[in-house]
Amino acid sequence: MKKIDLHIHTVATRSDSQFDFCLDKLSEYIDAANLDAIAITNHNIFDATQFGQIRDAVTIPVYAGIEINLCKCHLLLIAGTDHGDRFVEGAVQVTNAISDPTDSISVSQLEEFFGDLSEYLLIPHYAKKPAIEPDTLVELGGHVVAGEVDSQKKFIRAIRDSARLCSVLFSDIRIHADLIRWPTRQTFIDCGDPTFAAIKACLSDKNKLALSENDGNKLFPVLPDGLMISTGLNVLLGKRSSGKSYTLNEIDQCNDNVKYIKQFALVQHDESDDERDFTRDVERRRRANADEFLSGFKTVLDDVVNIDREGNHRRVEAYVETLLSSAREADRQDSFSKAGLLNETAFPISSDESLQSLIRSVRQLIENIDYRPLIEKHLERTALLSLACELIEELRTRAFQNRKSQVVNELVAEVKDALKIRSAAIQLKDVDLYAVALDARKVARLDEIVIGLKTPAVLSQESVQWFHVVTEKGLFSGAGELKDASGVQTAFREAFLMYDRPFEYLQKLKQNQQLSSADFYRLFGKITFKIVNKHGFEVSGGERSEFRLLQEIKDAQNYDMLLIDEPESFFDNVFLNENVNDLLRAIARSMPVVVVTHSSTVGATIGADYLIHASRTVEDGTVSYGLYTGHPTDKKLLSTDGSTIATHELLMDSLEAGVTAYEERRKSYEAVED
Amino acid sequence: MKLLKIENNRGHFVLADGRFESLDKLTKEDLLRLVDLSLTEEVDFDDYEDSSLANQAHQIIYKSVYEKLTELASRREEFTDESEGLYVEEYDRYRAELSGDDDQAVN
Repeated sequence: MKKIDLHIHTVATRSDSQFDFCLDKLSEYIDAANLDAIAITNHNIFDATQFGQIRDAVTIPVYAGIEINLCKCHLLLIAGTDHGDRFVEGAVQVTNAISDPTDSISVSQLEEFFGDLSEYLLIPHYAKKPAIEPDTLVELGGHVVAGEVDSQKKFIRAIRDSARLCSVLFSDIRIHADLIRWPTRQTFIDCGDPTFAAIKACLSDKNKLALSENDGNKLFPVLPDGLMISTGLNVLLGKRSSGKSYTLNEIDQCNDNVKYIKQFALVQHDESDDERDFTRDVERRRRANADEFLSGFKTVLDDVVNIDREGNHRRVEAYVETLLSSAREADRQDSFSKAGLLNETAFPISSDESLQSLIRSVRQLIENIDYRPLIEKHLERTALLSLACELIEELRTRAFQNRKSQVVNELVAEVKDALKIRSAAIQLKDVDLYAVALDARKVARLDEIVIGLKTPAVLSQESVQWFHVVTEKGLFSGAGELKDASGVQTAFREAFLMYDRPFEYLQKLKQNQQLSSADFYRLFGKITFKIVNKHGFEVSGGERSEFRLLQEIKDAQNYDMLLIDEPESFFDNVFLNENVNDLLRAIARSMPVVVVTHSSTVGATIGADYLIHASRTVEDGTVSYGLYTGHPTDKKLLSTDGSTIATHELLMDSLEAGVTAYEERRKSYEAVED
Repeated sequence: MKLLKIENNRGHFVLADGRFESLDKLTKEDLLRLVDLSLTEEVDFDDYEDSSLANQAHQIIYKSVYEKLTELASRREEFTDESEGLYVEEYDRYRAELSGDDDQAVN
């Protein structure tokens, strides 16, 4: 097996943070990681002089490459060690074509710049940002040999899924003098000499790609010093102060996108803080549910908020007053005011909304394919078609009528304006009574909806393990609760006085300059979340911690690796055995998991794929730390320096407080056994 | 129900208690009530005729109110459709619990 890293940066471009390349560091990296071949792939540039220096200085094959912005993704294009002029010229054209990190070239430009693409290794970002679009992949045809991923989890997923490209894991490292940690992302290929042709053949064959030299994809190097762990479930054991947490921290530092649940992180000591944080946490997670429930109400409010009820009343009043006044002064009307058009009212313009909605519904009936036999069993298709046609004709007629009315209204308005200037009589102030009546209906409907919204009821019960997250709706009990719900530091005392009268309450909210109308919908019905245990009671402090642990573990699905430090702290054995172990096992099927534990409930029963033992030895006053690894069935665990430790003894010491204590416990259990 | 009638050469509108009042006493509250009735009930009006209203003031008021209310009455079905369709999905969703049917609640 040969270990390769074909994604290394040695030039700081506009796509990188500033760094100064250090050739010695590159040699150190090659030695430390035991690499057999590398490629230099800088962003949209190929520095031929620097490449020559690197190739002359290192002892392994170095391939010339370039990382190109292609169709909004990144593509590694790698030529041989003795790259041709065509590659160098192509790279120059890429540099000229991409002046900004957001620019990219097309596939046809790529072909134009580099000629026959089959002469290169093409490796696009695949499960790694910015990832290649499916269309671009198709456009590149068979020239893509593999796709680059950025974690062991994604590597394994791609290997297992036959529909996915062969995947490779490379470091994407910037080589500079201040580099402290070596990356652990490299790929092993099954070949003899890592020639260009051999690499190309291996990259397109999933059976020839692996994360480890001898253990295929079951193990992978997780630390730069060569510590191998399982791609599944690892248990890290060791006495107190043996370096377990240190090891976890190192793993966290050396790998990207790690979910690290630290010891005691989920257990707080101040009960009230704990409860508040817990509630906030749950509310954050469930906020989307509440918004979904309230989305319809928000639409209603967005409409009702524009209703000017006082204005409507004023307009009706003005109409009545001017009508009565003009009637009283009828005998004083001059020739202008006697003109019929002066007091003519505008034609109503009817809304087509309900007719349009009806047409949409009929169209649905006509166009639905899934339920066509059922629909046609009850409704003749020809009748539906006739109905649709007639409705559309009606819509056209009404639209035409409305248009005519609009023209007349505009004309009448013009004439009235001209007459008003000349007439001394009181002018009738017109009002659209239909619109006023409809606004009143909307206000009444709002009242009814809000009553429903405020009626206490359970909206949903979602199960999370044996807990239930119960979402409820109900009334706000005071101004303080409204302030909390709004998230705005403002007074609600006056508004709350109107809380029982939704429309008036809305007016009060509108008067408050600090509130955004977009958030009013949260302030009518109170949506609360609570977590109850399987008996339906509010959860205790301990149960809260358990719930959070399970949530955190579930959240690990969004990461590439899970580290969890002593889950047994503050959790009882039954909970660990029945819940945590199952969950960890399930997650470890798709990503590496490392559990630090002293608990036999976790350590001995979880069914680990791999054991890691941390040990501390003091010799002549010097403290040294060591890590031993192996499969649980191995008699001995092995350290990277070749020393061994007996697995049985280790398990007894770490999980059972030693053989003697274990024997005593076993006897005492036997003594009380029925 | 008759909303407007002509009697003794004068126009009258119906009050909430069913009695009739002279049209020159019309207030905005009265008008809103007549509007509501025109849009929701089967209503009728004495037709407007210049000759049956001797008083010019009554002619003006009766003509204007009559035209408005008859126009509204002719749109009663449209109004019913439109107002019953107002926020109907939201209405059903949020009122579901009140009728003892909480199937509409989010799950």
